[in-house]
Formats: sequence, C-alpha cells, structure tokens
Amino acid sequence: MSWPLYSSMMKSHAKMLGGFIYGAVAYIVLIIWIYPSIADMKGFNDMINALPEGMRKLIGMENGINSLADYIAGEFYGMLFLIILMVYVILTSTRLMARLVDQGSMAYLLATPNSRLKIAATQAAVIITGLALIVAFTTLSGIAASEWLISGYELDVASFVTLNVLTFLIFLVIAGYCFFISSSFNDEKKALGISAGLTLFFYMLNMAGKLSEDTEWLLNFTIFKLYDPIKMINNETDALLTGTMLVMAALVLFGGSLVVFKKRNLPL
Amino acid sequence: MINVKKLTKRFTPEKGLFDLNFEVKKGEVFGYIGPNGAGKSTTIRHLMGFMKPDDGGSTINDLDCWAKSAEVQKLIGYLPGEIVFLEGMNGLDFLNLMQKMRKQNVPQKRDELIERFQLDVKTPIRKMSKGMKQKVGIIAAFMHDPEVLILDEPTSGLDPLMQRVFIDLILEEKQRNKTILMSSHSFQEIERTCDSAGIIKDGRLVALEDIHSLRTVQRRVFEVKVKKESDVETIRQSQLQTEVMGKKTVHITVQGNDQEFVQLLSHCEVEHVDTRPQDLEDIFMHYYDRKEVVK
Repeated sequence: MSWPLYSSMMKSHAKMLGGFIYGAVAYIVLIIWIYPSIADMKGFNDMINALPEGMRKLIGMENGINSLADYIAGEFYGMLFLIILMVYVILTSTRLMARLVDQGSMAYLLATPNSRLKIAATQAAVIITGLALIVAFTTLSGIAASEWLISGYELDVASFVTLNVLTFLIFLVIAGYCFFISSSFNDEKKALGISAGLTLFFYMLNMAGKLSEDTEWLLNFTIFKLYDPIKMINNETDALLTGTMLVMAALVLFGGSLVVFKKRNLPL
Repeated sequence: MINVKKLTKRFTPEKGLFDLNFEVKKGEVFGYIGPNGAGKSTTIRHLMGFMKPDDGGSTINDLDCWAKSAEVQKLIGYLPGEIVFLEGMNGLDFLNLMQKMRKQNVPQKRDELIERFQLDVKTPIRKMSKGMKQKVGIIAAFMHDPEVLILDEPTSGLDPLMQRVFIDLILEEKQRNKTILMSSHSFQEIERTCDSAGIIKDGRLVALEDIHSLRTVQRRVFEVKVKKESDVETIRQSQLQTEVMGKKTVHITVQGNDQEFVQLLSHCEVEHVDTRPQDLEDIFMHYYDRKEVVK
C-alpha cells in the first residue's frame, strides 16, 4: 500500500462515494419510517399472498410482511440496495484501474518507486474501503432509524448486522471480479461494459431462477444465489460458511487482479 | 548507465522494435531521433518497465528495466510524451503527491523549478493548457534530482522562451553529470544539447553517432534569392547541388560543405537567404537510404 496515493485517491473519490452513501442512507431511513403505516394496513398481506409464488419470490415477499426485519430485508436489501451497490462497484472498479491506464495517468503512478503490485493493492484498498463505508453507514442508520424513528417494532440488531456483513462480502466478490476485469483491460469502456454485462447477466439468472421450479437450476450459475436477505436476517443461512466462502473468493479475485496487472504490457 | 541490448518487441511483423542496441554512458546526453511512429516512445516504455520485451532487454545502472522496474524508478525522472495527470487536482497537489510517493520532502528544487518556469501551480489541471501541463511534467521529472532523465519529446507545447529555459536546464544537469535520454522528431532540438544521437526508423536503429559527425552528414537546403539572373548561372556552374526554382531563386543543398557555400554566395549579389524546414528523411537521406543498422 502506498498511503499518499491511498489518501489522494480517497479524496478525489469522496464526492461520488458521498453520493452513494447519501442515497442508501436516505432510502433505508425512509423505508423504515413508513413501516408502521404498512404494517397496520389491513389486507396488505392478503394482497401479497394473492400474487403468484414466483412473483412473490421476486419482490422478496415470499411470506408477506411479518416483521420489521423481513420488511427491511425484502424491500431494501432485496432491491434498491442491491442496485446501489452493483452500480457503485462496477463504476468504481473501472475508474480505479482501466480508466487510469486508458487515459495514461497510470504512467505517473508507475514512474515512482512503487511496484505495480503496490499500486494495484492501493487501488483495491480504495474500492474495499468505499464499499465498507456504504454498508457501515447503512447499517448504522438502519439501526438508528428503527430505534428512534418508529416505536413498537423491534429490530434484532445482531441478525441485522449479520445480514450487512454478508451483503458486504457478496459485493466484495463482485468488486473482485470487476476489479480483475478492470486490471486486465486497456480500454475503460470495454472494462465497464464487460463488468456491467457480467453482473447484469448474473442478476438476470437470479431472477429467472426464482420465477419457477423448472428454472431453479439457473441459480447455480449466479453469485446472487448466495444472496437471500430474508433468510439471512432470519438466521436461516449458515452465515459462517457462506462468509468464509465469500472471503476466499474475494481473496482469489483480488490477488489474481494484482498478478494480472503485474505481468501485462501497459500501453502508457 | 542506460543499456539497451537486442531489444525486440513485435506488434506486427512490420511494427515494433527490432534488435535495438545502444548505450548511454553516465554524464552523457543522448538524443533519440525519429519520425512519428518510428518506435521512440515504445523504446522509452521498455526503459520505464511498462512493457515486457519479446527478446533482449534494457538495463539502467545494471538493473533490468522490466524485472526491477520499481527499483529502477528510484534513479529516473520521467517526462511522458503524452502527459495525463490524475483528475481532480491542481498542479501543486499533483507535485506533492509525486514527492510523497517518492518519499521525498525537500521542496527547494521543486519551488526553484516552479519559479523558473513561471508556473501558476494552483491552477486545476483540467484548466491547464498544453504548455502548462508540459511545465508541470518537466518539474515532476526534475524535482527529485534524479540520476537519469528520460524525456519523451520534452519541448512540445512550450513557447520559444520556455524552450530556451528548458535547454539551459538540460545543459545545467549535464554539467552536474546527469545521464539524459531525450527523444525528439527534430534534429535542431537535439543538436543544441546532445553529445550523441541515435536515429530510429520503423523500429530499427539506422544511425548511432556523435553529434559532430551527424552535423557533417546533415543536409540543409537553402533558398537563395539573387538580384541578377547572371548570378543564377554562376551558382549553377558551381560544384554544389543546385536546383533552379524561379527566375532568381535557387535551392542549394549543403551537406558538410558550408565553406564552399559561403564562398559561392560571396560572388553573387544576394537578396535573401532562407533555410527550408525539412523532415528527418531529407536531413539524413544518407542513413535512410542505406536502411541498415550502423553499429
């Protein structure tokens, strides 16, 4: 790690990161704030139950809304947060490597006595920090909002934190393969296109897989299979096992990125 | 100090670098001349460790430029041919970052250079003109007082006054026994500062000589306008290679025989003399015609 580069990168990155944090925090607070009115609405669950099963799975409300935890997990973690993090990870990973090579400013970073491994590791640290900050701020404001903004509804903090840690790890893996792609290409647009395309493809497989039992096998080919917010918050998954697997995958992907970047020709 | 041995990089069978050999000794200023696309920047990319050679290789201070690139960078000051800085910074931020990444915190030389090139360092980089960026680049290359300077077309974008400042800077560094490699597509620029030069064409070195001998083979075409038509006849009768362009205008090619040229003109009534700008092929036709590597 090169600390001067890290702090300079974080600084120029702060505005964009701030936007993402603001978006995520504002939305989770809003969604918690309106929970009491939805929970009190009679017939809401009947309406949900009237939907076909595949549809319910898709919008993350398999069993209707029975608790605040289910509601947050389904409404926020199942949809919007997923999209926020996907966009963040894809954009940022492309900016940190492929863009600098494409534009040529990487030449200046490598013209200092810091090895390629060190430079790439610093850039990886920037995206990991950014991702961690978004999830951390969201977790804190989720806990704060359910504590102070509404009364009479309990949120189990421990399992909420577990959900957030697992969410962070899933996106760490996604960041890992995006970073790998970004480290391997000279063309910023190409890197962005491939990262976005692949992630979208995984997401579509996930949607298609959840639609019916005939298509369930598709889930085996997508990382989002591991991402089931409602099960996670209800502690129905083996968090330790999933977590360990994700950490390993992230290590391999980021490590691979550094090696690829070290070995390749750069058109600088 | 800089040693390039059998450096080969094939992009396509025709494009790339082919069996490049040259050496720049400590304290020497080496000019690397070639037309656009000849392979100057590609050679420099190898010296900087951005590219891995297919064959052969290069060393700086006996350190391999690819395998030991981070160590090599400690010795080098680098000015890229196409300067792109990180986004969202001003000039000073950038120079500070570079110094910190080099673990250096002596700002004297930096400030001295800023003063010398009259650079407004607080300007955001995206608002900088080509010339300003070039100045920031030059300062970034020189400010840590490196042993070796690798400069890719250093004067592009600078006005004549700043070019002068730059040439003085090079001559000073040369006095201080620094090793310098600078590329250019103009011989005139190299001529003023370098001890020796290599001429590259299509990825092959076609000449490697000291500046003095390059000067003697350099062809220059003078456009001479005389007052009387009889003078045109006098000029045509001479030993020099001439070409009549108009009634009273003659092109005279001079190649190492400046003395004869001046004597000839002394017999005529000259109204106007001008040199014609030429590309490298014309100046060094001698080398480009032979198309072989001079060792």
